[in-house]
Amino acid sequence: MSDDLKKRVKELIVRQLKLEMDPATIADDAPLFGDADGGLGLDSIDALELVLGVEKEFGIKVQDEEVGVKAFASVNALCEFVRQKAA
Amino acid sequence: MDFEPLPHAFPFRFADGVVERTGPAAGRVRACVTANAESVRATEFPAAVLAELVAQSALLLQGGDAALGRKGFLAGVSDFSVQRLPVAGDVLTIDVAIAGRLGDTVKFEGIVRDAEGGAVARGSVTVKQGSA
Repeated sequence: MSDDLKKRVKELIVRQLKLEMDPATIADDAPLFGDADGGLGLDSIDALELVLGVEKEFGIKVQDEEVGVKAFASVNALCEFVRQKAA
Repeated sequence: MDFEPLPHAFPFRFADGVVERTGPAAGRVRACVTANAESVRATEFPAAVLAELVAQSALLLQGGDAALGRKGFLAGVSDFSVQRLPVAGDVLTIDVAIAGRLGDTVKFEGIVRDAEGGAVARGSVTVKQGSA
């Protein structure tokens, strides 16, 4: 998977959610939501912000059912989701 | 233990009613700032209440009822700026439009104006629909 896409997604996450952290410190496979160790601990409000950001940044439409367990589980999953939707 | 959510009743009900609907989740709501409201006894409408006012306006346009109480609650505020604090006697209009939705979480953009059309506040609020 493209490192450029991962970098873009990580920068989007930090910018859209106004996180005070270096995007590069987000692990590719770390869980974005929930309280798991090493995860970002995002919540449902963050999820909506992330959806709006992804839609604007990549010009794709995110349906409710696509969000959650798979598509937004991690940076890797989100990159794969964006790659498939943009194909 | 069951949790009974706080209803949007006086003195925490700020939006009076829908003036105009311009879409399925957009329109204009009116709010009269009265001297009797707890929130203006200190002579000015607190800035935080303006964000709550936009949220209540959004929920009214989503099918809520000012008289019956809440259909959701304010869950987030972003990029919200206040140009001036309303005072008793102000008649405010709140224009609200949906910015995005994910399940029961909905983000709205809102602009609060006074009777002369001057901007009072503007910004985004996120509401969670349903009870807490």
